[in-house]
Amino acid sequence: MAVGLVGTAALVAQAALIGAIVQEVLIDHDGLHHTVPALVALAGAFGLRAVAAWAGEVAAHRTSASVTSTLRRQLLTRAVALGPSWLAGERTGELAASATQGVDALDGYFARYLPTLVLSALTPVVLLACIVVRDWFSAVILAVTVAVIPLFMILLGLEATRNADRQWARLSGLAATFYDLLQGLPTLRAFGRTRDGRHTLERANRELHDETMSTLKVAFLSSLALETMASVGTALVALFLGLRLLHGTLPLGTALAILVLAPEVYLPLRRAGAEFHSSAEGRAAAARILDVLDAADAASPPTDWAGARPLPDLSLQPVRLAGVTVRHTGRAQPVLDGVDLSLRPGEHVAVVGESGSGKSTLLNVLMGFVVPESGEVLVGDEPLSACSMREWRRHVAWVPQRPALVRGSLEDNLRLGNPDATANELARALVRSGLDGLVARLPGGLATPVGEGGLTLSAGERQRIAIGRAVLRDVPVVLLDEPTAHLDAAREEELRDALAPWLAGRTLVMAAHRGGLVGRVDRTITLLAGQTVAGTTVAEPSATILGTPPGRGSSTTDRADDCRTAPSGVNG
Amino acid sequence: MIRGQGPLARVLRIGAPDGPRFLFSTALGAAAALCTVGLLACSGALIDKAALRPPLYTLTVLMAAVQLLALSRGPLRYAERLVSHDAALGALGRVRLWLYDEIAPRSPAGVAGWRDGDLLTRATADVDLLQDVYLRGVAPLLVAAVTATVTVAVVTFVLPVGGLVLAVFLLGGGLAASGLAWVRRRRLGTGEGALRGELGADVVELLAAAPDLVAMGRDEEYLERALASDAALERRARHRSWSDGAVSALVTLCTGGAVVGLLAVSTSAIGAHRLPAFMAAVLPLVALGAFEVVAPAADAVARMADHREAAARLVAVADLPVPVQDPDAPAPLPAGSDVALEDAVLRYTDGGPRVLDGLSLAVPEGRHLAVVGPSGAGKSSIVNVLLRFWGLESGTARLGGTALDQLPQDRVRSRIGWVGQDAHLFPTTIGGNIAVARPGASAADIAEAARRAQLGPWIDSLPDGMDTPVGERGARLSGGQRQRVALARALLAGSRVLVLDEPTSGLDRPTARRLVDDVVTASEGTSVVYITHRDEELAGFDDVAVVDAGRVVATSRRDG
Ligand SMILES: Nc1ncnc2c1ncn2[C@@H]1O[C@H](COP(=O)(O)OP(=O)(O)OP(=O)(O)O)[C@@H](O)[C@H]1O
Ligand SMILES: Nc1ncnc2c1ncn2[C@@H]1O[C@H](COP(=O)(O)OP(=O)(O)OP(=O)(O)O)[C@@H](O)[C@H]1O
Ligand SMILES: [Mg+2]
Ligand SMILES: [Mg+2]
Repeated sequence: MAVGLVGTAALVAQAALIGAIVQEVLIDHDGLHHTVPALVALAGAFGLRAVAAWAGEVAAHRTSASVTSTLRRQLLTRAVALGPSWLAGERTGELAASATQGVDALDGYFARYLPTLVLSALTPVVLLACIVVRDWFSAVILAVTVAVIPLFMILLGLEATRNADRQWARLSGLAATFYDLLQGLPTLRAFGRTRDGRHTLERANRELHDETMSTLKVAFLSSLALETMASVGTALVALFLGLRLLHGTLPLGTALAILVLAPEVYLPLRRAGAEFHSSAEGRAAAARILDVLDAADAASPPTDWAGARPLPDLSLQPVRLAGVTVRHTGRAQPVLDGVDLSLRPGEHVAVVGESGSGKSTLLNVLMGFVVPESGEVLVGDEPLSACSMREWRRHVAWVPQRPALVRGSLEDNLRLGNPDATANELARALVRSGLDGLVARLPGGLATPVGEGGLTLSAGERQRIAIGRAVLRDVPVVLLDEPTAHLDAAREEELRDALAPWLAGRTLVMAAHRGGLVGRVDRTITLLAGQTVAGTTVAEPSATILGTPPGRGSSTTDRADDCRTAPSGVNG
Repeated sequence: MIRGQGPLARVLRIGAPDGPRFLFSTALGAAAALCTVGLLACSGALIDKAALRPPLYTLTVLMAAVQLLALSRGPLRYAERLVSHDAALGALGRVRLWLYDEIAPRSPAGVAGWRDGDLLTRATADVDLLQDVYLRGVAPLLVAAVTATVTVAVVTFVLPVGGLVLAVFLLGGGLAASGLAWVRRRRLGTGEGALRGELGADVVELLAAAPDLVAMGRDEEYLERALASDAALERRARHRSWSDGAVSALVTLCTGGAVVGLLAVSTSAIGAHRLPAFMAAVLPLVALGAFEVVAPAADAVARMADHREAAARLVAVADLPVPVQDPDAPAPLPAGSDVALEDAVLRYTDGGPRVLDGLSLAVPEGRHLAVVGPSGAGKSSIVNVLLRFWGLESGTARLGGTALDQLPQDRVRSRIGWVGQDAHLFPTTIGGNIAVARPGASAADIAEAARRAQLGPWIDSLPDGMDTPVGERGARLSGGQRQRVALARALLAGSRVLVLDEPTSGLDRPTARRLVDDVVTASEGTSVVYITHRDEELAGFDDVAVVDAGRVVATSRRDG
């Protein structure tokens, strides 16, 4: 800002000098040698303006860069903290666009609009003050025309802001569309629908185009108004200056100085108007970003906060679900309806139930990813919602139904579970998760890059990596979501044997469809119509619901299957 | 693709906004710029003349000119901006579609090593950057060139030395500013686009892997990792603000030089009576106006390196090899729909392991084959080959007796109904996802496909039924529901070959059994390749192939 004022001062000097020089030449008929000192001073004024311009640019970027970085960090932190259930309702491409392009667009707001805004309030006043002492009449013309400008700006600015919100929605929507098309292209190709994808993109393009143009029209209209005002004001000043020169009531030097200054009175306002509109995208993106930052906490419990109560000792205290009810938006019945469940330390429990009965939801509640509508999760007598989620998750290993790989080596992906694992522990985890065969087969071994930009492993291999990650964690509570969905019976049994030593002594909740792994649990819970059906132990016949434990006849299975067909899908 | 042409030129040609409109907007821009210069010149002349106190009538022409120029400048600029932005936005849309057209035939094999977030950044940020090429790249240069030429010509006509001074500062200043920008850019190098792409890819990955990362307490670390490129970008922005500042300082200095120079030469010319006295202020004011118009050109040159990089990032996608190409002289689509692989060898990467290692299998027309084997054996890879997503290194894949590489890919796929192992759901409704297979399908057909996929009762229980949104990648469905929606989609296609990759892995036993009954057993006359892990399902199949390490290690066959 100080820099801006220096620039303004230099500008005033420059105008005065040009006026003085011309006056000398034209009226006083001085030769070149008389004007040399003034010319040198004029060059100096330009030099000063150059330095001010340079310094202004550097200073503006400095502030803006730190603001935008901070915002990016906050947005991403918040989005991650809101967790899976919130993310399930969002679009990755749109969020990514807000966090990248949207935040970048704010650069214009901080680096250009805000500084020009401050200058636009100051510079005209300073310049008018300089003019009024020389010629009050010109100052009045300028002051009147300048005073009208903010009115225009406010009116058009309001309209532009409304448009810009829509435009940002289109722009980020286009990003979401493109991202989804990228991921869905194999599917589109398989069904011969590549052209439909193209049409979708074309539509998004067109909508963006139309919305952008209507935003721009308002923006350009406002600059038109501003420019016309400035031109007319300048021309009026010039005309009246001319008339008064004609009557000899004004010295030429003053007139010229005012003429040079006149456009500069409008310039900061014009620039502020232009920057206001060119930062519209950034402001609209900011509105969206603030929405995310303010998103209701209901979607997810706070992960970490100062008043968190210490977590009770999990090796002594049971983990309990007490009357947990979960209802997803847009679904008639609750997925979980007053579920009570107590897990003794070290107990192994299988949760079974048909597809869509809420097994994954139950595990998500335990992970703190889903906040129950009513009821709560307790550790001992302490409600989990009073403890730090981060702390709780440190004691839990979770194998999701659809695990994600991150870019990096196979080893990096495993070590995600525990970065401090020793080479021995890693080797043991490979054996336990059944990945040793794969590692031996890969030329790069553990260093092979996987995930995006690397090998897209087979579905079963991805799941084994998730198991390997879990095995690396030395934690008291283990949640497995259908860990053997991609294994045949023989290999399921292998996995069961390999995991047994690790699972011993840990509390296990496992969602499952099939027998294999379930064979060894202490208790089986069946989810039916959102409620748990009385827990049973393996020894009881209902265990056969889960399929054929090795060595039993298949006829029981069939009978059990038939019993379970009735409620099919009702609760799904 | 035409080679030997810079990436920027190539992309510009693809987006090429209709030439006349572009020229029109440039003409409008130049006219507006000349108005700016003319306005300053006329007002200067007006005042100078007035100071000599001539009769009023000698000033009327100048007064009218001042008013006219003042009033026409704004509308001219307005029209220019509307036309140029409209053209530029149209161009961006075309570039984006072109990018999609280039990615489509390469997906998935051709872009397997690419990160989705990076491709997304190319389609958004990089394409948007090109907007500046149209708005601030070419057009300002043209406008600047026209304005500079006209101004210099007029000044030369009035006072040759003045023309020379103006030309020297305009040209020299312009060149120096561009040179400075150029040198700075050279020192910074390019790579800003790459950094932005990395940021985008890391952000997408962070969001996509968020549940896993949060669960393992690694979210903060990966957030920092994603923001590493942000920090690098910030450092570059700081460097750039230095060079941008230097450019504007240089432009100001040159303006000063021209103004001082013109003042000096017009003073001495007036002294020598080679110039009418009233012109004393005109030439310096013209210089001020000319530089105001020309300054954006220096900026445009400074940005050129960024634009070239953005264009290069787009062209890089288009220059990727197309992994599976259609034959030049395609064979007719065979009548039969039996499927076979003979000694198939597949590698996903050069020098990588042979994922299919001489695998042979056959599904005679209308027969049902179950494929089993450990994970990583190559079962899904068989599907990738049949769908022509990947080409074979050696061996042959056949449909109806004709080698697949003799047939257009689209035709092959139109014969095959497919459910992938991790099938993609689009973020629309359940019904919308099923209808992808056949957009014109009737509601009854969709419902029937859903029923066969064992979705019926569940969909009936939903308040919005088929119109229930599924969320991104089906995030609002359970694992088994996702699979069944994908299955319903494949069934709706009504293809004569069905390729199902573990459609029951997420289902409970009874549902799975009914599904096999309704889908496979009921598909009389359809050739079926059915991948499964469940031994109990095998009974319903005509043939069973056990795959291990990329080969069929055992088969069993039921005659009939
Ligand atoms: N984010 C969500 N929004 C709306 N509904 C949801 C959401 N997530 C899950 N559901 C619904 O909740 C029900 C239970 O889902 P959940 O994933 O817990 O089932 P599941 O028992 O794990 O099934 P599966 O065996 O198929 O994995 C399903 O009907 C599903 O459609
Ligand atoms: N796109 C890919 N790029 C590189 N390697 C791949 C790719 N897809 C699969 N592979 C590798 O090829 C091998 C065979 O994979 P494939 O998906 O065919 O196995 P699968 O038999 O279907 O296993 P699963 O039962 O786990 O689904 C695996 O080792 C896997 O890592
Ligand atoms: Mg589930
Ligand atoms: Mg597979």
